Amino acid sequence: MSDIKYLPGKEPHENEHRLIFKNVDRQGWDTSIDTYLEDGGYEMLKKGLGMDPKAVTEDVKASGLRGRGGAGFPTGIKWGFIPPNNTKPVYLICNCDESEPGTFKDRYIVHQDPHQLIEGMVISAYAVSAHTAYIYIREEFPEAAITLEKAIAEAREKGFLGQNIQDSGFDLEIYVHRGAAAYICGEETGLIESLEGKRPYPRIKPPYFPAAMGLYMAPTIVNNVESLCHVVHILRMGGQEYVKLGTPRNSGTRILCVSGDVKKPGYFEVEVGKVTFRELLYDMCGGPKDGRKFKAVIPGGSSSKILRCNESFKIGRGDDAKDLSFWDLPLDFDTLAAAGSMAGSGGVIVMDDSRRMSWVLNNITHFYAHESCGQCTPCREGSTWMKKVSDRIENGQAVPEDVKTLEEIAYQIDGKTVCAFGEASAWPVEAMIDKFREELVGETSDTNDFKTDERIAQEEFLSKVQ
Amino acid sequence: MRPLKFPLTDFFKVSSKIEVPHPRAIDRKRLEYIRLYAPVKVDVPNARLIERDALRYLFKDHPKPRRNDRELVKRDLPEPSVLEKNVLSPETPGSINFPPFKITPELEKKANQRIAQYPADQSRSAVLPLLHEVQHHFGFISPESIDWVADKLNIAPIKVVEVVTFYPGFRQKAPGKLHFRVCRTLSCAMGGSYELMARLCEITGIDRSGADGQKDPISVSPCGNYSVEYAECLASCGTAPVCLVNDDFHEGLTPDKAKDLIAQYNG
Repeated sequence: MSDIKYLPGKEPHENEHRLIFKNVDRQGWDTSIDTYLEDGGYEMLKKGLGMDPKAVTEDVKASGLRGRGGAGFPTGIKWGFIPPNNTKPVYLICNCDESEPGTFKDRYIVHQDPHQLIEGMVISAYAVSAHTAYIYIREEFPEAAITLEKAIAEAREKGFLGQNIQDSGFDLEIYVHRGAAAYICGEETGLIESLEGKRPYPRIKPPYFPAAMGLYMAPTIVNNVESLCHVVHILRMGGQEYVKLGTPRNSGTRILCVSGDVKKPGYFEVEVGKVTFRELLYDMCGGPKDGRKFKAVIPGGSSSKILRCNESFKIGRGDDAKDLSFWDLPLDFDTLAAAGSMAGSGGVIVMDDSRRMSWVLNNITHFYAHESCGQCTPCREGSTWMKKVSDRIENGQAVPEDVKTLEEIAYQIDGKTVCAFGEASAWPVEAMIDKFREELVGETSDTNDFKTDERIAQEEFLSKVQ
Repeated sequence: MRPLKFPLTDFFKVSSKIEVPHPRAIDRKRLEYIRLYAPVKVDVPNARLIERDALRYLFKDHPKPRRNDRELVKRDLPEPSVLEKNVLSPETPGSINFPPFKITPELEKKANQRIAQYPADQSRSAVLPLLHEVQHHFGFISPESIDWVADKLNIAPIKVVEVVTFYPGFRQKAPGKLHFRVCRTLSCAMGGSYELMARLCEITGIDRSGADGQKDPISVSPCGNYSVEYAECLASCGTAPVCLVNDDFHEGLTPDKAKDLIAQYNG
C-alpha cells in the first residue's frame, strides 16, 4: 500500500487504515475498468466464484462485518435469513440512497471507484444466489449514475457480468435505478416499494422482512454501498484475518465523515473503535476553528442523539464499567450505543460554541418534517408539529412550556411508527432537549404571547360556542 | 378562429356578473365561451386546462353541441381527470426553455430500454426511470407526459400521479435554464447555505417569498433563465455549502462565490 500516491492535500492521515477508500483521491486513478484491473481488480470475483456460495457467506459471517448503512446489523447473518426452501428469484439491492445528513462516504465510492462496488456486488449476489441486482442510487448523484452505468457496461464487456461469468456458470445482471430525492427511500422496505414504482411507504416488519418478502414479494437482500465493498476485502484477507481489524464485535474499518465546525472536515477510514473523539477531532480534523471551543457532536448522522463535549459516560457493565469522558469515547457501534447515541452511518457533525442549539434543532426538525413520508400519523403530524414549535423557539416567540411540549411530542412519535423514521426524527429532539434544556428554555420568555393561525382560529371557534 | 354557428348572447349576459367560486363549480364550456368571446377577463387557477379541454371539445374530439341543448352539453363534458385535479403544471417564465411534451422515437427507445430492466410482469417499476427521462428532456412533468407514462406501462394514471406528487425530485412546473438546488441541511446551513441562497436570489432577481418547501419549492426568475430550490442533504457535508446546478455538482460554495458560479455558466 505504501507505493500508492494520493493527490496533494488529500493524503490520508497516519491513523487511517484505507481499504475501501484506497483508490479515492489516488494519483493517476480513474473510473475505467483498465485502471481497476491493473490494480489487481476483479481477482476476488474470480476467487469468490470458485468457492461454494455458502463458504462466501460463512466467510462474511466470520468477519463480523456489520452493515454500514446505519443499523449496524451483521451482514452475513442478514444473508442467512433467506428461507432455505425458497423457489422465487432472489434479488440483491445496493442501497446507494445516501441521504442521512452528515454522511458522504458512498458519494466517493460511486464517483471514484465504481468497479469496487460492482465486484462486491457480484460476489454478494453469488453468495445469496441472486441473478438480478439493482443499484438504487439517489437522484442527486446524476453523474454517478452515468459512471456506474458505464462501469457496468465495461464489466459486461470483460465478462465480469452477464451470462456465465468467468465460466463459472453464474449469471448476474446489475441495473442502475435512480431514486427521486426522498430520504425515506434509504429505509430498506421503503426503497423496495420505490423500486416497485410506488410511493416509498415503508412496510411493516413483521411480516415483511425483505429477506423473505422483499422486492416483488421475493427474497431480497438490501446492503449499503460500503458493506458491499467490504465483501471484496473480506475475501481478499479471509474472514479470520479481517476480524482482527478493529475491536471485538466491531470488526473492520469504517469511514467517518466529519463536517461542521472543524478546521479540516473530511472523510477518514479508520479501524472501528480504534479512534477516539479526541484523536478524530483534534489530531485528524485539526481541532476547532480559531478562537472557538467544541460544544456538541452528533456522532452518526443527524438522526443519532447529540452528545455534549463536556459530558462523561459510564461504559460497560459490572466490574468492567468505567467512566469515560466524551473525548475518550472510541467511535464504535457498542460504545456509542452505551453512551446513549448510535454510530449510525458514520456522519459526525461538529458544532462549536458559536452555534445556538435552538437554531440547530430547528434545522433538523425542518429536515424531518420535509422528509416524513406521511404514512403513520404520529410521524406525519408530529414532525410538522415539532417544526412549528422549534420555529417559535428559534425566533424567540416561545414560552417555557413550549420546550416541554416539544419533548412530549417527540416521545409520542418514538416507537409508534412503522419504520425507524419515527425514532430518527424524535431522537435528535429528545437528546437536544435533554442535553441543552437550559439553553433552550433561556431563549423563551413567559411574556411571549405568540399565537399561531390555528390557535387564533380555535379561540375564535370556542368563543362562539360558549 | 372558426366562426361559431350558434348564438352566444346568453353567455354574454352571464359574463358580466359571473363570480368564480370554484373552477369546477362552473360549467366549464360556458366559462370557455366567456373566456374566448366575452369582453371581460376571467381568471381562474386552472384556466389553462379548462381552455385546453374546451378547445378540444369545440374543434376536435367531440361533436359540436346542438343549439339549446344544455343537457347534452353537460353530459358530454368529460369528468375532470385525476391529472387536472393534482398536476397543474402552471406556466412559469421558464416555460419558454422547454419544448412541449412530444413523443419522439428517441424517447420511446430509451423508455423501452428502461422497461427491459425489470421483470416482464413488473413494468410498473419503470415509473421512476421513465419520469426521469421525461424530466430530462422536457424540464418538468406535464399532465400529457403522465398520460404517456401510464399508457406505456399499462397502469392507471393515478399510479403515476402519486409518484410525481410524492417525490421532491420530480418538478411539476418549468424551472429556469439554470436550476440551482442549494442544500439547506445542517452542515451546509452551518457553512452558510442560507446566505448563498439569498445571494443567488439577489443576483438573479428571484422572489422566493411565495415558495413552499413541500408543495411549491421552485421559484423562477422573471427572465426565465434561472430558478432556485432548497434541497435536503446532497451528501457532501464535508465540503459545505454545496449546490447542484442542473446536473452539475458544485462544492465549497461560500456565499461570495455565488456571482462566479452564475458567471461560469453565462461566460
